[in-house]
Amino acid sequence: MARTKTLLLALLAIALVASAHAQTYIPQVEIGYRWLDLNGNSDVYRSQINERSGLLLRSLTLNTTELPFGDHFRLDASDLGAGPAGALRLEAGRSGAYRFNLRYRHADAFSSIPSFALGQHSFDRRRNAFDADLELLRFGKFTPFIGYSENRYDGPGTTTYHVGQDEFLLQQSLHDRDREIRVGTGFELGPVQGQLLQGWRRFRGSETLTLASGAGAGNNIPPVLGRPIELGTFAGDERTNVKTPFTNFYITGMAGTRVRLIGNYVRAAADSNGTGSEDARGSLASFALSRFFSGQTETSTSRANNTTWRGGARAEVDLYKGIDMLVSWQRESRELTGTALVNTLFLQSITFGGADPRDVEAILNSSNSLDRKEDAGSIAFSARSLGPFSLRAGFSTSNSDVTVTPDLAEIVITGGQGGTFSRRVNTFDVDGGWAKAGFTAGAAWKRSNADDPILRTDFLHRDRIRIRAGWQAPKWIRAGITADETRQDNDHPEINYDAKLREYTGEIEVTPLELISIRASASRFRSDSSIFYRRPENFTIDTSINVERGSSLQGGFSLMLPKFTIDADASRFTNRGTLPFRINRMSGRATFPLFAKFGIAGEWSRDTYHDTTFTTENYEANRYGLFLRFTP
Amino acid sequence: MPKKLITTGALALLLILARPPAGNAQEPPPPATDTTATAATTTTAATTTDATPPAAEPAAATAACSDCHDQAKQFVTNPHARGAVTKGEVSNDACTACHGDGTEHIANGGDKTKINVPRGRAGADDTCMLCHDTATDRISRRGGMHANSAAVNCLSCHKIHTNNAKLVAKPQLTLCGTCHTQSAEMRNKPYAHRLDRGGMACSSCHEPHGRQRKSERSLALTGHLRAATSGEAPCVSCHAEKRGPFVFPHGANEVADCTTCHAPHGSVNPMQLRRANVYQVCIECHSPTSATLGSQPPSFHNLSSPRYRNCTTCHTAVHGSNRDPQLFK
Repeated sequence: MARTKTLLLALLAIALVASAHAQTYIPQVEIGYRWLDLNGNSDVYRSQINERSGLLLRSLTLNTTELPFGDHFRLDASDLGAGPAGALRLEAGRSGAYRFNLRYRHADAFSSIPSFALGQHSFDRRRNAFDADLELLRFGKFTPFIGYSENRYDGPGTTTYHVGQDEFLLQQSLHDRDREIRVGTGFELGPVQGQLLQGWRRFRGSETLTLASGAGAGNNIPPVLGRPIELGTFAGDERTNVKTPFTNFYITGMAGTRVRLIGNYVRAAADSNGTGSEDARGSLASFALSRFFSGQTETSTSRANNTTWRGGARAEVDLYKGIDMLVSWQRESRELTGTALVNTLFLQSITFGGADPRDVEAILNSSNSLDRKEDAGSIAFSARSLGPFSLRAGFSTSNSDVTVTPDLAEIVITGGQGGTFSRRVNTFDVDGGWAKAGFTAGAAWKRSNADDPILRTDFLHRDRIRIRAGWQAPKWIRAGITADETRQDNDHPEINYDAKLREYTGEIEVTPLELISIRASASRFRSDSSIFYRRPENFTIDTSINVERGSSLQGGFSLMLPKFTIDADASRFTNRGTLPFRINRMSGRATFPLFAKFGIAGEWSRDTYHDTTFTTENYEANRYGLFLRFTP
Repeated sequence: MPKKLITTGALALLLILARPPAGNAQEPPPPATDTTATAATTTTAATTTDATPPAAEPAAATAACSDCHDQAKQFVTNPHARGAVTKGEVSNDACTACHGDGTEHIANGGDKTKINVPRGRAGADDTCMLCHDTATDRISRRGGMHANSAAVNCLSCHKIHTNNAKLVAKPQLTLCGTCHTQSAEMRNKPYAHRLDRGGMACSSCHEPHGRQRKSERSLALTGHLRAATSGEAPCVSCHAEKRGPFVFPHGANEVADCTTCHAPHGSVNPMQLRRANVYQVCIECHSPTSATLGSQPPSFHNLSSPRYRNCTTCHTAVHGSNRDPQLFK
């Protein structure tokens, strides 16, 4: 965190120095404070929105040229400060010399929902991500580059742990760090261009677990075979280290004047090493061992490898002016193997009858593998410029072959966990468009047919239709309607999967004067999904039904006077389905000049969430922001 | 490698890069008939505003586009003006690259018919594509989702004279939502990626210039999505901890992809699952059917009991585990 702040301050300092030396600069800054007024369930609010009180750099743009170190420098920042997500991007360079890009992004991840996973899974974490890339433009036909990325994900959480026939709430602390270095070069050798990239990535993750305060009784109060199940202490630690070298290459060139060929290849070989340990003490039971025990210690070592490559080629053939034939083929291959050695010692175990006291050691030496290959080929014809019309038609086919070889230790009930699976999907699609005098219309239809499912929710037949029409009169009106429908099914008698998604939207934006804009939209969507499943407890066939009935109304206006602007929006989103709720959103923003180049911006936004099923999750959140603006 | 060495190397590299290349505009301009003189003329002409250039004068030799067009003055920080700015003035070269030679336009008092104004598909094809005709393994101008047509072309989404990042005409969420209403609508659901905040936008995952190709099983093979540098689906670019590999992977992710279970555009479920309830997502695959992948839960999983309706209460390591075949930890 300290490093992040230091880096941000350093960047701001560089930006200020840069602007001081620049011939031209256009800074735009908006900084201020946001207040939160929350009524209702704060956990649900934070899980959904999470805008908090505090200082906020709403926006910053610094755009300069003619610097001592380059001919352009642009810094953009937004929403840095009181969360939940902020970003900074820097672009600098000198034409013909170098180009440097730096991106920083942070996002707060919060989740604590009373009705989800018995309310026991929660986290309050932050992700910080950096990317830096430098391209050197001095080397004629070659453009070497180097890049670095870092992605950190840290913070506390709660999770659950299943041991001794009960589940216990644990405090969790997570520290994950993913780093990547990449080097390579772009090249342009006559009619042939491309890029070769070699990278090395390293992921290190650690997780520590302790029993949450007061959680020793577990989820289930009733005793097991007359014996109370309790956990006195728990400590767990797991570490993972993954090294992944990867290569990414593409090349493109013209074969004659009408054919463009593109080839690509990417390969990554991940090698993961893991260690874990845990120590649990209490009064526990195991149906697998048919014993009670007073604790368990466990150590584990693991190794997993994943080698994935993808390669392919495509040709774009210029048949006639604006009419093209597109042919492509790709293969993706993934080979995954894993081994683990887990040593578990059940302490002071006794049979359910109370006999035969002893420590029992269980060793799991497991290895498994997965092999997956997918070939995807396509051919399409595209006519982009038939006057006001455009037309495209294509056929594609993809074939997946998967072999899963689980270790016997993985299998609790035989079936469905391993074997060889294959699935081919053929797709035909056609779409057309028309545009003239501000009117546009488009329609697309896609049909897919598959031979077999691999997962039960895989379709055998799918149709998608999409229609859109719009009208835009220069400067004063824009209107559009969209209708979209997707149907997919699998009529296998044991599956009987059927899903439909329909969505209709209409929108209009009117600008009667250049300074005023009024907008409104309405939409409805209906989602229906049903599929057979077998209830584990009695093996009867039941139907899983998921329904959503959504409707949305939205409206707003903008007034952009030279010295005063106001922008306001309101929306209502209602979903009457499996989990019914209603969300009302309102927001407004106004800017006023103060003196010289300074002004203020005021913001207000209000969200109300009404959950029909779990009313304790409702909230109403008002946020007020006041920001000082500087614009040239 | 010692950190000091890296720091020293980085500083040295920066110093080398900061040096202007030979012939760069940063060098002191020659005293006569150079761009400085043009800039001075510009300033003078600008103060006289809107004056029609004398017809007899070979206007292009001395007049600057910014004499009449305020846009040209604002263009100074535009990416298309890079390398064409001297002392705050944009060289006419930056304008003529797209608009063509303006000599006749100026000589005829700003006659709009004497200057090239790129519009629509033809404008995009004949102007933008002269430099931006990029074809990579993912990007295609011909077979792309947004292939240049009368209805959708470069100028449908990009506004060249703005100073917006990537020169997009509007904030991405508004721009993309104009046509992709379904995806925009899904974002209204209570649990969704926070777009337009914190640097996350549609193009964080989607490649707007990507080509039309949809694999049924692999997100990484899908043409209109960005891929990580190592080739995976864009999800793991942020969610790196879910990348694995795991000794005991969750088959749904390895055989298919993240969207088997998750709805990235928005969901009613806190974990952005495709179904409202956790057990529905799981049980729809984990039911015994001949020739499909998905194990059968043992019979003590009584779905009538709340304890078994939140599968992840026990199977916490649902994305994969290195320690437990049943994904308990």
